[in-house]
Amino acid sequence: MNEAAPLPEAAVVAEKLTKRYGSLTAVEDLSFSVAPGEIVGFLGPNGAGKSTTMRILSGTMSGTSGRASIWGVSVALDPAGAKRHLAYMPENNPLPEELRVEEYLTLRARLKDVDPARVDERVRKVMDDCDLTRRASGRLIGQLSKGFRQRVGIADALLAEPRVVILDEPTIGLDPHQILGIRDLIRSLRGKMAVLISSHILHEVEQVCDKVVIINRGRLVAQGRTEDLRRELLPEASFTVVTRADEAALLAACRATEPAATVSALPSAEGWNSFRIALPAGSAARETLAGALIAAGITLREIAEDRFGLEDIFLAATRRAPGEVRRP
Amino acid sequence: MRHFRTLLAHELRSAAVSWNTWAAAGLFLALMGGIHFFALVEGSRAPSDRTPVESTLWFFWLPLLCVLPLLTMRTFAEERRSGTLAALLTTPASAAAVVWAKFLSTWIVWVVFWLLFTLFPFLTVQRLGTPGDLRLGDPSILWGGLCFIAVSGLLHVAIGILCSCVTRSSALAALLAFISLLAMTAAGGALESLPIESWEWLGWLREPAAHLRTFGHLQDFAAGILDSRPIVLYGTGTLLCLGLAILSVEGQE
Repeated sequence: MNEAAPLPEAAVVAEKLTKRYGSLTAVEDLSFSVAPGEIVGFLGPNGAGKSTTMRILSGTMSGTSGRASIWGVSVALDPAGAKRHLAYMPENNPLPEELRVEEYLTLRARLKDVDPARVDERVRKVMDDCDLTRRASGRLIGQLSKGFRQRVGIADALLAEPRVVILDEPTIGLDPHQILGIRDLIRSLRGKMAVLISSHILHEVEQVCDKVVIINRGRLVAQGRTEDLRRELLPEASFTVVTRADEAALLAACRATEPAATVSALPSAEGWNSFRIALPAGSAARETLAGALIAAGITLREIAEDRFGLEDIFLAATRRAPGEVRRP
Repeated sequence: MRHFRTLLAHELRSAAVSWNTWAAAGLFLALMGGIHFFALVEGSRAPSDRTPVESTLWFFWLPLLCVLPLLTMRTFAEERRSGTLAALLTTPASAAAVVWAKFLSTWIVWVVFWLLFTLFPFLTVQRLGTPGDLRLGDPSILWGGLCFIAVSGLLHVAIGILCSCVTRSSALAALLAFISLLAMTAAGGALESLPIESWEWLGWLREPAAHLRTFGHLQDFAAGILDSRPIVLYGTGTLLCLGLAILSVEGQE
């Protein structure tokens, strides 16, 4: 890893980034940052401007206005300097089909200024880390499966031990086993490299990332830790209850402790009724609901607070207007 | 220009293992072998001012138009289409280093093709020649002609590289290169054939037309006349085309 420069406050900074293609605005006033060693998920619907933003950050595309910097180096003013701290794996992970995996990684290591004496060692290390040594090292890239091609792309990204890694849809087209492998690999980078990763698999992002940045139509709609976003975007509480009681009895018991509570029926089984109880944001009944129901004589088989996933957060964030975003 | 040597080695290696290069080499040798054969047959039938080697070199425009575009078409167009060029530019390697490496490797391959062509006159002299008789393979004409091919090849390859930079389609790049090289080769002769003398306002064209006479340059080189003007023309043209190619690669989005 590059050792000379002092640790900057942010490994990646996007400040009021804007990209226009004629009358079409792909990215507008987008600001966010990634701290050193942090893994950040970059989310948005198709066409939201994720790949455009990543390309601007990686220096392969210039922005119309705004500022992008990698490890404190301006991407626009010193692209070569910024690239020295950065590895970028584009969405479709283009690779030269006619090269063998080891040859390709050796070439990339040389181009990425890896110490010539360490090129072989680094190539072996990333091939081991990405599980390429045994099954792919001597094969032509053009003969590799999608999963192995993705691994080659990630191995390339890790070759020069960069400060910042930007991965655009690294698990697209992979099977569950391969996704697990890539997820573990990305997780192992925490604390070593700043990682900005875009993915449509929200569960995967939730598993891996410290923070998420959500954009919609080129504008920031939410950013922060998943827990914070959950509180911000989905403040209401919801419980799933399995009981012998009917809906009317349950509603009465709930309303006794929270007048604004609502109850909706869920599919029932084995003679037990299932309901969803929704409490408004900030309701004190969130802490006391179970006790209140038992006190009201409701027989409970099961009660659990519904945990809103990143999918719910994503949907809530992309539904709201960009101006509503709260900056951390 | 950091990483130039790494990129050049990679490009030369890629060219050596590419089916495209081998197909172009086959086409080139078939064309030049055929032309040389017919030049020999023609030379044996009737007396001529030109030796067979000279006659063969006179047809340099045929591989130039048919083979060189095959070598240059994929250099950037294919990489742009597949996205590997963008991936390459995410490394600290500069666009200039990439363009120069691809240019020089293609030029080297082009020169190697012509060096392979020397086998034809060499074998002809070996099999059919008589000692001291230079008519079948005069080395001065051959090497002078090859010097012309190498010097003019700088510009011709640069034109092909530039054409490949401006499109994502290899076929279109080849077509653009074909048209540009045809215009470049024929421009001098076409301008000279205009009735410039009778149009006074076109008088200024006389001198540039004289500079662009490609076949005249070949004749001069083959005769051992070293004129700096074509060298400057091909050199500056090469730098201009490569400069535009670098701008095109830097500006790719």
